[in-house]
Amino acid sequence: MSAPLLTSRDWLGKASAGLILGFVLALGLSGLLAWAIGVSDTFFSTKGQLAMWSMSPVWCLVLSLCFLFRSGLRAWTMLALASAVVWAGVYATGMLA
Amino acid sequence: MKVRTDIVRMYKDIHGWVGIISGLALFVAFYAGAITMFEEPLQRWASPPSRLAAPVPLERTPELIRAVLAEHPEAGRGYQVNLQTGRENPARVSWQMADRGADEHGARRTFYAALDTDGRLQVEERGPSPVAQFVDVLHQQVGLMLDHEIAMPIMGAIALLYAIALVSGVIVLLPSLVKDLFALRSGKNVKRMWLDVHNLLGVFSLPFHIVMALTAVVFAFHDQFYDAQEASFAYTEERPAVAAAGRMIPAEPASPAAVVASLSREVPGFVPVALAYGKGRDSAPSLRAMGRDARYGLRGPTYTVAALDPASGTVKDTDYLGGRQDGWGSTVTSFFALHFGSFGGVGVRWAYFLLGLGGAFLFYTGNLLWVESRRRRERKVGTVKQTRSTRVLGALTVGVPLGCMAGISVTVAAAKPLGAGATEGMHSLIYHAVFAGFVFWGLLRGSARGALELLPAAALAMACIPLATMLFISAHPAEVILVDLVAGASAMGLMAAWTGTRRRVCAGPRDSVWSDRKAAARKGLS
Repeated sequence: MSAPLLTSRDWLGKASAGLILGFVLALGLSGLLAWAIGVSDTFFSTKGQLAMWSMSPVWCLVLSLCFLFRSGLRAWTMLALASAVVWAGVYATGMLA
Repeated sequence: MKVRTDIVRMYKDIHGWVGIISGLALFVAFYAGAITMFEEPLQRWASPPSRLAAPVPLERTPELIRAVLAEHPEAGRGYQVNLQTGRENPARVSWQMADRGADEHGARRTFYAALDTDGRLQVEERGPSPVAQFVDVLHQQVGLMLDHEIAMPIMGAIALLYAIALVSGVIVLLPSLVKDLFALRSGKNVKRMWLDVHNLLGVFSLPFHIVMALTAVVFAFHDQFYDAQEASFAYTEERPAVAAAGRMIPAEPASPAAVVASLSREVPGFVPVALAYGKGRDSAPSLRAMGRDARYGLRGPTYTVAALDPASGTVKDTDYLGGRQDGWGSTVTSFFALHFGSFGGVGVRWAYFLLGLGGAFLFYTGNLLWVESRRRRERKVGTVKQTRSTRVLGALTVGVPLGCMAGISVTVAAAKPLGAGATEGMHSLIYHAVFAGFVFWGLLRGSARGALELLPAAALAMACIPLATMLFISAHPAEVILVDLVAGASAMGLMAAWTGTRRRVCAGPRDSVWSDRKAAARKGLS
């Protein structure tokens, strides 16, 4: 295997990316979910609540698995890229406020 | 399963650090949470007989409500009719007033009303014991009795660390899962034994822990999640304000007896426990029925809610009404029910109680492992004197769990002597005094001697519960004896743990944080 070995040393860079961009990603995906299931006017509807709940597993997973990136810089770049794609989707659906 | 060794090593480090940061707070959350499974029976156990007259029959409730509204018009903003009364719920009608400047989670004063034999109104502010509620708050705020607004983000951070600990723990275990899973090697290598216990507990309660981590993150951050969504997406409507002051209830709403009859016709199987008459978002009259249905999960810890038409009592909103929900509603309800254990009846409550205690024990074993592995590394470089971090952590691993258990026991037992005058603040003070005393003593004496001295103290604290029942039996007749039996059995369990610990302190490996051979020699025990 040519990939450099992973260590826990670069944890701050990776974890900060997971914490911040993980939230951004989870928020964007919850917007796409809200669009897909047709949350209408209020987040207090059961559909709206489901869209809110969806943020928790996404955020937790990104935060837990962000350590698998090769470096903090790479974590920030890749998660930013993923967020950009998701939020472009949010924009395309017309969900953006 | 094969996982690259560098990944396993990296996640082992991460697991250790997130575990050690969040472990003790999670212990408190899980221990207190396990007790909240029996919040209602505990409240019945702890509540003294009320000075109020016996609740009026349901048919006479409108008379009581008229009397309340005549003397206390502020109750018109919202009052509750309790359909099931008892020690834990002494009055047919009660209402709450938010303290000035209090928000959604702020302090409230509750008033309880009854009619005496001559039909005169009695109002009482001394209600059922708040101790069960105190344990619940302790659980929600992972033992940090700070302001709710401050405690919740900290709880959320702990929940996120907990989620990382779960994922990293699974990744670390994956390569040796098949080999290690059913192994419990209780040989000479104590660390191996604790690791086996830790893995066994962790893997078999993993679904429970995943549920708890994901729901706890939502409970901590739902306001932030909603706010972020509202700010980002094309919705403008706000969440409804909780208490909108407005005019009083204008029209005569349906009587409680009529509502109960209507509910039993419309949703058979649903057992209403209380009716909340009040105001909706636009200060129009509103009526909600709280109740349970053994066939479905509940939206709350002990009941679910259905919005009714206040004039007729027919069901208006079935979002949380089991069996009448759509898929979205029942999905969201299931998240809550899975956290609260409010499904499947008393069997699930006992299962959750044991899973909660198991969870607390999981975090305790995690801490033990951290201390043990530190110790071994130190021995390799040739020193047997423990570093300060190992000593402090070892002492905290003894003081915090035992302090939490003893503090809860003493404050629960105190419900009997405190009687009807007890407040949540008093219970909090008692808990924290005991908790701080245990933690301080543990740090002062070190883990080995601390454990030897604190275990019998914790057992004594546990025994205070049945003792309080016996001592105050004349003023406060016993109810729910099971609470006393469980506390008594736990006291004996702690004494058994004390016997085991004593053996290890006196005869175990000398370089362990659990060793105190000097004390053993002094007492002539070795």
